Amino acid sequence: MTNLVRAELLKLRTVRLPLWLLVTTLALVLLGVLATVLTAGLEGAPLRRDDPELLARAVASASGGNIIVLILGILTLTQEYRFGTATPTFLITPKRGRILTAKLLAVAIVGLVFAVVSALFALAVSSAVFLLRDGLVARWDSAVLEVLLGAVLVMALYGPIGIAVGALVRNQIAAVVGALAWTFIVEQLLVALLPDVGRWTPGGATSAVLQIGDLATTRGELLPVWGGALLLVAYAVVLSAVAARLTLRRDLS
Amino acid sequence: MATTLRFDGLTKSFGTTLAVTDLTAAVHPGRITAFLGPNGAGKTTTLRMLLGLIRPTSGSASFDGRRYDELAAPVREVGTLLEATGFHPGRTARDHLRVLRTAAGLAASRPDEVLALVGLTEAGGRKVGEFSLGMRQRLGLAAALLGDPPVLVLDEPANGLDPQGIRWLRSFLRHLAGQGRTVLVSSHVLSEVEQTADDVLVLHRGRLLRSGTLAELQAESAGGTSVRTPDVERFQQLLAAAGLTGRRTGLQELVVSAPAPAVGEVAAAHGVVLHQLTEQVGGLEEVFLALTGESTPTADSAPTGQNSTTGKP
Repeated sequence: MTNLVRAELLKLRTVRLPLWLLVTTLALVLLGVLATVLTAGLEGAPLRRDDPELLARAVASASGGNIIVLILGILTLTQEYRFGTATPTFLITPKRGRILTAKLLAVAIVGLVFAVVSALFALAVSSAVFLLRDGLVARWDSAVLEVLLGAVLVMALYGPIGIAVGALVRNQIAAVVGALAWTFIVEQLLVALLPDVGRWTPGGATSAVLQIGDLATTRGELLPVWGGALLLVAYAVVLSAVAARLTLRRDLS
Repeated sequence: MATTLRFDGLTKSFGTTLAVTDLTAAVHPGRITAFLGPNGAGKTTTLRMLLGLIRPTSGSASFDGRRYDELAAPVREVGTLLEATGFHPGRTARDHLRVLRTAAGLAASRPDEVLALVGLTEAGGRKVGEFSLGMRQRLGLAAALLGDPPVLVLDEPANGLDPQGIRWLRSFLRHLAGQGRTVLVSSHVLSEVEQTADDVLVLHRGRLLRSGTLAELQAESAGGTSVRTPDVERFQQLLAAAGLTGRRTGLQELVVSAPAPAVGEVAAAHGVVLHQLTEQVGGLEEVFLALTGESTPTADSAPTGQNSTTGKP
């Protein structure tokens, strides 16, 4: 299994895609921090400029790349079919469940790397903005650390979910478009209209791990942090198991 | 080292279409076995079943009795080159091989060694997206040799190669079989097979029509003599009187099912003028025509790139 995980990591290191996705991730983190801090105190904004949670909310943007890591997971799987590399991959390792496991682990590792870079970047950008802009009150408390750890956890778990989605759908465009539509439309609607259902979605679980998000600010209640984390793990494991049973064993012609 | 491949009642249906029907055959070590048939005959489906990529509807395919997915280290036991095998266009040739060798747990020196074997050392650092079809075939062959396997399964390896490349491939395969390896090569090009193979499996519409040595198959169609004479009708009667059958094939042409000396003697005895007297050499094309009763596979050996995209299930 070590060899297979190393091979999967080598696959990711020998193409450009992960680098671009990391750049995109950092851009999203930057936007997230700036949007949170610079809108604080404006009319209709959720936070005041001296809000005790302001810094924690700002560094929570470190999880802003979760959708990017999700796409990385999807592409890691679907590109094997798109470019036909699934054939040599399956020939080297005829037991396809082992390949799926190796990919889940490899993408979790890459997600962790993205997460750590994102967390450091979010901290750096937040510190700079708090220093340079007048009237902001930075509170360095345990909430900041908890949010950062939550963001790292979310980033590490979204990649494996992407692998599972890719294995289930196999078609690259369908998988990416479906994942984006789910995240930006279906989940948002569920969270807003049916919070009792919404908290059980991956997006709801993510809010739970970070203890922020739409659910927290509206009427719904979040799961506890550990509940959200377990739910994300469950999504990755259950979807992978379904893919291993249903789609991954299909004929490759 | 020596491994024997066996197909045992191998059958695959896609919906109601039978792609491969009850295929039983053996492929022996130290020889090049050609898997011959037109595009769409079921060759690729058969090879993919052999390699565990497609699950047979019934029957089995094995390497010394073991299914592909039962092999302890598949890459060290079977080298494969399949038509739909892909490469990530943004990855270099060497990186492609490094990924494979890492997954298979082979020595770190293997990628460069096999690149040298197929003459791609210079191009190893280039992205596969820039490769010609022929270079991709060589890279695919390099990947097949990565684990130094005793068995090679190659699907249309001559596709996309230029004439020098095909000549190189032929001697390369001969060299590999000479080392005692089992080499199974699929092809839809008759003339290519005639110059490469020891044994032939003829597949048509998913059924195995014939298996045997190339020499046996060629002998089957041999024995006829073609004759040109301005006096066709009289000569035909004289042949019949001598107990020989002459079949008219043109205005002044006959094909006689007898060796040339016998035909020549009949002509000499009756003073018939002959413009041509040729003993026919057996050809796979004739065998194929006789077996299938219909169109032959492509008879020319010119490599055509489009073949890689046609006739797949």
